Amino acid sequence: MSTTTATTTATTPATAAKRGGKAAPRSQKRGRLLIWVFLAPTLIGLGIFSFIPIIGSVVLAFFRWDIITPPQFVGVDNFVDLAANPTVRVSFFNTITFVIAAVIIQLAVALGLAILVQSRMPDWLRTFFRSSLFFPLILSAASVSLIMAYLFNQEFGLVNQFLNLFGIGNIGWLTTGFGAKVVVLFVYVWQNFGFTFLLFIGGVSAIPKEVYEASSIDGVTGWRQFRHVTLPLVSPTMLVASVMAIISALQIFDQPYVLTRGGPGNETRTAVMVIYESAFQQLEFGLASAVGIVLTLLIMLVTAVQFQLSKRYVFYG
Amino acid sequence: MADLTRRAMLAAIGLGIVGTAVSWPRLTARDIPGRGEDALTITVFGTAQDAMQRQGLVDGFQKLHPDIPVRIVAVQGQDWGSYFAKILTMIAAGTPPDVVTTATEGTQLFASRMAYPIDEFVQRDAADMKEYFDDVHPSLIESFLYKGNLFQLPDNFNAANVFYNTSALERAGLERPNDNWTLDDFLDVARKMEGAAQGTFLSYFWTNRLWGGVVPWLYINQTSFLTEEKAPGGEWLWKQFYPNETPRGGGYLWENADALNDKTVESFQVLERMVSEGLAANPAQGGGSELVALFASGAVGMTPAGGFWVQGLSEANVGNDEYDVTYFPRMRGQRHQFGAGGYAIMDTSPRKEEAWQWLKYCVSVEGMSIAHSQPDSSLPRKTLNDKLYGAGLGPAHWQVFYDTLERFPDTGPFPAPPQQAAVESALIKNVVPTITDGPEGVRPGLETMQRDLEIALRSR
Repeated sequence: MSTTTATTTATTPATAAKRGGKAAPRSQKRGRLLIWVFLAPTLIGLGIFSFIPIIGSVVLAFFRWDIITPPQFVGVDNFVDLAANPTVRVSFFNTITFVIAAVIIQLAVALGLAILVQSRMPDWLRTFFRSSLFFPLILSAASVSLIMAYLFNQEFGLVNQFLNLFGIGNIGWLTTGFGAKVVVLFVYVWQNFGFTFLLFIGGVSAIPKEVYEASSIDGVTGWRQFRHVTLPLVSPTMLVASVMAIISALQIFDQPYVLTRGGPGNETRTAVMVIYESAFQQLEFGLASAVGIVLTLLIMLVTAVQFQLSKRYVFYG
Repeated sequence: MADLTRRAMLAAIGLGIVGTAVSWPRLTARDIPGRGEDALTITVFGTAQDAMQRQGLVDGFQKLHPDIPVRIVAVQGQDWGSYFAKILTMIAAGTPPDVVTTATEGTQLFASRMAYPIDEFVQRDAADMKEYFDDVHPSLIESFLYKGNLFQLPDNFNAANVFYNTSALERAGLERPNDNWTLDDFLDVARKMEGAAQGTFLSYFWTNRLWGGVVPWLYINQTSFLTEEKAPGGEWLWKQFYPNETPRGGGYLWENADALNDKTVESFQVLERMVSEGLAANPAQGGGSELVALFASGAVGMTPAGGFWVQGLSEANVGNDEYDVTYFPRMRGQRHQFGAGGYAIMDTSPRKEEAWQWLKYCVSVEGMSIAHSQPDSSLPRKTLNDKLYGAGLGPAHWQVFYDTLERFPDTGPFPAPPQQAAVESALIKNVVPTITDGPEGVRPGLETMQRDLEIALRSR
């Protein structure tokens, strides 16, 4: 703290006392002002690019608007349409089942690899795996999906060509409901587990070696060690990783849009795809906003439930 | 923490104000080249390179109209739907273009909401325009009429024909099929191609989209997935420019779903049989970008394509003797489908007269020749196709591209009502489930398609 500030701080209580203790000290006022000055750029940015659009979206959900003609107030009609539309219902069902599958697989793969890389690797190989497993995340999801679409092509894709070598016939990866879901899930998890993996690397490496040594002396090894030592100690990381993975998976768009366009039928259509299609293809911006609001509420609800449940399973040492 | 003096505070605020003022053009995007200029703004569907390639067209136009500055704006998109979405965003942002390129996919969307009818201009300049209409097939003009008004002049079109690999045909011991071949002939050719092929090979490869997807198979069976009617009106056009034609009405209306009529079911059953028999691919999604490589490598025997593909195959080093083109086979009829493209004037444009001059120039012999110097699309002016495809670049039977219109006068555009994006989505998402669940899966698949089409047509 500077001398000037110290002096000012020392004198102001007396001044305040003379004024009956009601007025805040001058330096405190300046301090508060300074806080707002420094916060202003962020707050202005958030206001313009986040808060105003969010409010706009909420308002828009009660209007019919096609960009070209003026918006028309329709009350809750968009929400009624949303509930009655089978495609919207299916897309939410798909999104939720996708999130469950993707998050479980993503967390399991990432944690498994993190433990493997941290425990049984020479340093150079560990560095190599840390980088290479994170690498898919820096690629564009659309580019990855385009390449995967070629690989999983039913007639000419490399995956089926490879399976043919073992006498397995061509599989309709992208043209059957189950196949398309598997491919979308695979591409998404392959590209996104790298971040979760890095989180777990941090979590696993923070566990003191002494804890493992002590548990080994007590005869706790292998699966029991993982279950009773590793898992509780990485549970705070697990909470962060799962919250982020769920929020990200609920917003899945690129992979199904490029790989399958939501098909076959509606098998891989997701909530965000419906938002895009409603707004930019069908010019129903009100309906799109309504779907967006429902999705946002769903994300908030899931996150709240998760934090509530975390009180039971997260161990903070 | 350092205390903030009043002077420092004022200086910081002052700096902020100055910084904002200096960067104002950037913040408000006013520094984008051409923005705010008094120029005729034309959007084209493509890349910046595509826009640059139109410079010849702009130069030619400005020789005639030196007083009309022109700015070409390239709008990139994965498909026409994303292009239209970006045009709508430009409108919402308060920077609508004066003229937009659009194709059959967007003709009725623009006509119903944001395009300006060109009837008054065509009638005013009828003497100049007569020569154009004399050279252009009425089916193409009809596709740009909407509820009695004309909105565009076709400057390119592509009918869906069957491209075939000549080696695959020869290997199967077959000769070029007759122009009026039937569905059975087609299946026979496909089976023989398949039987004679070695390695990975598909007799028929197709893409799941409006152009060249299921629609050709519906049209040759005299059916569709939407009802097709004609709007009243348009007499002024037919009487004046096509006096020998029976008036065709005021344009197509596709207002109801019709996926469950017997002929539609029959066409889908044919496709289901072809897929289950291994003669046809399970249709690929998207634009079919992989097709050129597959066709060039000889892995595909036949595929729906149009005049536009000649340039694509040439760029892939496929010799024009390695493939040829013929008509789609006959079922109940042999009606073909086409898609056409052209420019539309925006209703909001304050430069409608200048925009009309641009439209007129683009469909003139000079304009169309400059715009299509390579065989990347069939041309609505019959006479120009001779130069484009007959100069050695096209396949042996390149005349098929234009003759499709004359040989089968009922040939028409694929269904694209104002709700085209929703309708296309409802169609393509149901095609694969309909043709891959066995013969019993066809009708349930079409029932779902019918339901989705009804919802799509109800969309606003």
